[in-house]
Amino acid sequence: MCVGLPAKVMDTHDGVAVINAGGAEREVSSEMIADLAPGDYVMVHAGMAIAKITGDDETQAEDIMDELEDLLS
Amino acid sequence: MSDVKKSAAEKAAEIIQNYDGPPIRIMEVCGTHTHDIFRLGIRNLLPENIRLISGPGCPVCVTPVGYIDEAVWLALEKGCTLCTFGDLIKVPGTEMSLAGARARGAKVDMVYSPIDAVDYAEAHPGEQVVFLAVGFETTTPASCVAVRKAKEKGLSNFSLLTANKTMDNAYLALKGSADAFLYPGHVSILTGMGVYERLRDGHGMSGVVCGFTGPEILTALAVIIKGLQKGEPFCANAYPRVVTAEGSPEGRELIADTMEPVDTEWRGLGVIPQSGLKLRDEYAAFDARLKFGIPNMEGRANPACRCGEVLQGKIRPDQCPCFGKACVPEHPVGACMVSDEGACSAFYMYGGEQL
Amino acid sequence: MNETITLAHGSGGRQTNELIASLFKKYFDNDLLTADDAAVLPRPEGRLSMSTDGFIVSPAEFPGGNIGKLSICGTVNDIACMGAKPLYLTCGFVIEEGFETARLERIVEAMAKTCKEVGVKIVAGDTKVAGKGQVDGVFITTTGIGVIPDDVNVGGACAKPGDCIIVSGDVGRHGCTILLERNEFKIKADVTSDCAPLSSAVDALMGVTHDLHVVRDATRGGVGTVLYEIADQAGVGIELNDKDIPVDETVQGVCDMLGLNPLYLACEGRLVIVAPSEYAEDLVKALRTSPYGEKAAVIGRVTESNPGKVVMKTSIGTKTILPLPGGELLPRIC
Repeated sequence: MCVGLPAKVMDTHDGVAVINAGGAEREVSSEMIADLAPGDYVMVHAGMAIAKITGDDETQAEDIMDELEDLLS
Repeated sequence: MSDVKKSAAEKAAEIIQNYDGPPIRIMEVCGTHTHDIFRLGIRNLLPENIRLISGPGCPVCVTPVGYIDEAVWLALEKGCTLCTFGDLIKVPGTEMSLAGARARGAKVDMVYSPIDAVDYAEAHPGEQVVFLAVGFETTTPASCVAVRKAKEKGLSNFSLLTANKTMDNAYLALKGSADAFLYPGHVSILTGMGVYERLRDGHGMSGVVCGFTGPEILTALAVIIKGLQKGEPFCANAYPRVVTAEGSPEGRELIADTMEPVDTEWRGLGVIPQSGLKLRDEYAAFDARLKFGIPNMEGRANPACRCGEVLQGKIRPDQCPCFGKACVPEHPVGACMVSDEGACSAFYMYGGEQL
Repeated sequence: MNETITLAHGSGGRQTNELIASLFKKYFDNDLLTADDAAVLPRPEGRLSMSTDGFIVSPAEFPGGNIGKLSICGTVNDIACMGAKPLYLTCGFVIEEGFETARLERIVEAMAKTCKEVGVKIVAGDTKVAGKGQVDGVFITTTGIGVIPDDVNVGGACAKPGDCIIVSGDVGRHGCTILLERNEFKIKADVTSDCAPLSSAVDALMGVTHDLHVVRDATRGGVGTVLYEIADQAGVGIELNDKDIPVDETVQGVCDMLGLNPLYLACEGRLVIVAPSEYAEDLVKALRTSPYGEKAAVIGRVTESNPGKVVMKTSIGTKTILPLPGGELLPRIC
């Protein structure tokens, strides 16, 4: 229901963040994330940064597979 | 290849492919998951005893016909400029879609963000601009920011036609549709894990929060299989790089300060209590229904269309008599054939379940 | 010369002559272009290939080209894709009253420059001026003729199982450029149209072998649409490797933002080639040393299985159908 775009924050000012995905740039609202700074990676949806991204999917997959038992307890 | 270290995704794929237990049904709630699962060919990886069911998490698909009728009425009767996500353009209304209204002279503008619609309204003071606000927890904050911005700027030519929905109560309506759920990754950014813990503890429902890349979907499915094998209701977060346990208090606050819950109709699921959102009284001037006095639109869906049963996982898309005949992406009969995320559209475009 | 085009420029009188002399003759001048009613051409050797195409694009000028360059490339590429050497073109202009003359000159200049690069002559032309609002800026129609070598037989129906599929460069750049130029989605990105004449690329392919099965230029609908056309015409399946399809990083970024697939964005300077697989390596090498072909790559193969379908091998090693092309490209958000 919600296509997300992972992107890098290039600049922030007045509740707006300039985000970059593969060289494509756009201004989005940063009002949902208080402490956004250039260099952060964010998930963008409908013109709004909705979450910080704290790692890549492959490392996350490794962690999950290593901790499969703990995850479910 | 035995000396090469297997990636986590490969290990997860093995767990999925080697599953030989009793048949299980897993519902991917989110339409973006439906789309990505087809795009990544994940259904072609599943053994016969694992069935994926596409759920109702596509805002276009669950929006009732009457909503499109309201939008068409605003455009044709009131001369409003409609700003919308591209997804809604082809959804059939009782008489016509937005594309049909556009062909009759309606002004329909596609936007990337609701906030862009506010900028458009500011730049076009002579037009009454209505943003078609559909979406779940993920999308609603942007509509809230838009309406607040319009109020701040004192714009009198901007309003929202709301059909925003929340998932919490909808999950309960899906209970029994599947043995476990792939929970929507981006809705969970807002909600956090609390809702899933309540579903587990209070209702015995199981599921895993899932991201959208190949490794993410594979690992989440592997976690579900392991969880079901243990036999106890469970929930887990397999998307921790984006979703946190507490979710986004800022996002929830933004929504709660701008909108309030209402009972609302979901196509196929009927009215679900407190699962919709409307603007709070202080934003009433930006509510298109109040502003333009939209008459009550019943909305008639094509009676042959079985989108409702598809959305609940009761039938596969190709079991609907319209599928692939009267109903194709170019001429959709039901909303599930419109959106790229719709179960019928994905099923049709990717040529069914198995290659 | 006036600063803008007026209805008088299309009336056939003095001002029409002035426009022809100061613009069209100045840039298109060659021995076969005369003031007579029609061109008289020498008898060509061999079978002829002929094609016509109308061009409307908004905006008329964009990074990497303009409607003039596009109008020459489009028809030249159609002819070249039949294995033919393009020889002659005609062009018809419909210009909106009030169109800036300097802009028209830039467009005509780009046409002349592209003709020179290809070695093709404009041998006849026509100019009409339409009232304000009757056309959007300028519309151009070009028609061309070329000669096909005797042993060349290409066509969509000639694709055979086992053949390799090659694309001559990264996909979707033109469509992405136009999307960005219209600025409906407020995205900033440095993307240049791939608009280019491909006759020299076809020459380079012919230098490897004349046994090419299909050569197509991917225009509207992009490479994905071309592949479905070939699968349908030849009654074969097509299997692509997702990771081998060249896509510019920025084009991919724009597509990710809007939920679009670069395989369905328009190209204006990209060939799709289907040929016996033993030539794959040499054909790619030849393309890479030709202009506009530096990112050429083998992207898949023709199969007997899944006739009429395009199958994608995904990043996680599974196979899935490439969704059928269809209708208006709608950016999606949810």
